[in-house]
Amino acid sequence: MQKKIVTLLLLTIVAFVLAPMAALSADKVIKIGAMYPMTGRAGLYGKDSVAAAEMAIDEINGKGGVNGYKIEAYFTDSKAKPAYAVRVAKRYITDEEVDFLFGVVSSGVGLAVTEVSAQNKVIFVGTDHASTRLTVDNFQPYYFRVSNNTFQSMAAGALYLKELKKTRPWSTIAFIGPDYAYGHSQWDEVKYNLDRYGVEYKVVGEYWPKIFAPDYTPFITSLLKDKPDVLISGFWGGDTVAFIKQAQAYGIFNKTLYFHPDAGGNYELMSAMGDELPSGLILSARHHNNWPATELNRNFVQEFKRRTGRYPTYAAEGAYAGIYVIAQAVEKVGNPDDTEALIKAMEGMKIKLPEDPDGFTSYIRPETHQIVQSQAIGTVVKNSDFPPATRMLGDWKVYPGEDLIPPVEYINNKRKQ
Amino acid sequence: MDLPFFITQFISGLTMATLLFLVASGLTLIFGVGQVFNFAHGSFYMIGAYLGYQVVSVWGVNFWFGLLLAALGAGICGMLAESLFLRRIYGRSSEGGFQILLTYCLILIIDDLVKLVWGAEYKSLPRPDGFVGPAIIGDLYIPSYNLLIIAIGLVLVVGAWWILKYTRPGRIARASAVDREMLGVLGVNVPLTMTMVFGIATALGGMAGALAAPLRTVTPGAGIEVIIDSLIVVVLGGMGNFWGAWLGALLIGEVNAFAVAFVPKWASLFSFLVMVIVLIFKPEGLFAPRKIRKV
Repeated sequence: MQKKIVTLLLLTIVAFVLAPMAALSADKVIKIGAMYPMTGRAGLYGKDSVAAAEMAIDEINGKGGVNGYKIEAYFTDSKAKPAYAVRVAKRYITDEEVDFLFGVVSSGVGLAVTEVSAQNKVIFVGTDHASTRLTVDNFQPYYFRVSNNTFQSMAAGALYLKELKKTRPWSTIAFIGPDYAYGHSQWDEVKYNLDRYGVEYKVVGEYWPKIFAPDYTPFITSLLKDKPDVLISGFWGGDTVAFIKQAQAYGIFNKTLYFHPDAGGNYELMSAMGDELPSGLILSARHHNNWPATELNRNFVQEFKRRTGRYPTYAAEGAYAGIYVIAQAVEKVGNPDDTEALIKAMEGMKIKLPEDPDGFTSYIRPETHQIVQSQAIGTVVKNSDFPPATRMLGDWKVYPGEDLIPPVEYINNKRKQ
Repeated sequence: MDLPFFITQFISGLTMATLLFLVASGLTLIFGVGQVFNFAHGSFYMIGAYLGYQVVSVWGVNFWFGLLLAALGAGICGMLAESLFLRRIYGRSSEGGFQILLTYCLILIIDDLVKLVWGAEYKSLPRPDGFVGPAIIGDLYIPSYNLLIIAIGLVLVVGAWWILKYTRPGRIARASAVDREMLGVLGVNVPLTMTMVFGIATALGGMAGALAAPLRTVTPGAGIEVIIDSLIVVVLGGMGNFWGAWLGALLIGEVNAFAVAFVPKWASLFSFLVMVIVLIFKPEGLFAPRKIRKV
């Protein structure tokens, strides 16, 4: 009797294990192995990225998929740790046999995963991390990035500062940003671009707090002494919130123009700070919920809100774009298996995305596999359309993508080093 | 260097030191009494910050009630954690692996609970009425809220010290650090004492969280950010020593403030440098408790 029960149990287990496999093998599937942080300070971006990627997948599969292929994604917590993410990426490739690696928030993790992608010849679609090194210094042909990198943001920043001289003359700048690859690239790139556009400036201070440092008061008091005309900031996420709150109490924003072009205008800042966010700060981000005012962007933001109950942070649009880039590449090639053909399809690909203003279409630059997008820089103004935020960005200045990309000699120089 | 800048910088260091000390004092108290290094102590700081947020930003009740509820709430959570988990590993400091594993798991669990209740979004709460602007004294420009933190910190430090030194529960707590068995024989309810000590320590942490929240970001993971610096402070001062932790916090706060002013590029190196120097010359910390030999 007991034997019978055991056999029955075993059979049931076998049936359960095999059933989904059978179902899978019958369907044609595009497999995507995604990695996003779910814990700690970056967890918010991970959660938003997953929600937006799922939204894109549902949209595409709902319309019947791509060439008869359904998109299927695996999501694993990258823990924001390079070594751990490398193990996940390798497992995706060997066990799940994914067609694409996908995701990651931290540039450090991105730099690690791009090596796995190169070694295994599996395409890695980067959706959030912004260090220019991935597309310039450490570039490898299997890597593609579908959101702007810091170089593009800083080039837009330099152009903004150049124009600003006409209305608000300034001469001295200081920088504060997190002490790792991301912060340092921003500072180098803003100086490079100011030089490139012939803007004169004098550096009066340079500060490197640790990432996630909760306390910036000593930096702020030092900055007060430096009295820069413009303070360029390279923080992201909660660090921006903490810095602005602490700096505000010292009245620094009355004396210095706060300028934060890569990740300062992220929605989580507006939603966290509400009325506390001082008006007049000049910020930007890689995606905005209220710019551009296109139907595509409105639909993206509202649909995200409908699904999750909250407005998206900028990270969401990158993940959403990444799924559509994959779909468009597979559609052109006809299958997700011919990696080299997929690379050809993605190089130079044009794709209309929520963050494209009318008259501009994002495209992937073949030399760097970096998406080229417009960047809008705005000023903090009152706006309650996206609660709990009561301030949003407005008074936009828009810079077309072509003006923001690194020149070929810059890329070649960096790759030689 | 001009005097106003020196004072401004000193006070910014002191603000940091005060918050650091409020967290570190609880950490050192728990270590002194229970020989447990509670890695999860920062999580009670985080709970305090979220409770402050709940009271002030969600319920719209005033800041002082937020502070009180943060201390109470974190204290109760601390007592629960003690009686459910940490009680089992007292005195097993030789098996450090156990403590690290258990308290690290607690961090992950508390982080996830916080995310379930409040979500992963960054939260913020405003400064209390009357402490929004700066205090301007001559050439000095100092946020009045920072002065408030320093003042509250001072009151709490002196209060905690007084309780430990002069009251009966304080004496019992100190005695339990030396010899728990003897205390039990003398008729003291030792487990209850430990739970109470844990409650007070985590209440201090929770209060620090709520006090810091108007300046910092309230986010899951906030606990881990403060625990590293607190660990440095506790090690500097001598594990388990109350005034040592105070001196350690002051040292780290001020070294950091002046390093930023003079050598901004290398500032983040200095707190570790101080720790290395102290550990080379006084590996037991600046004020290690005297070793008591059991006969």
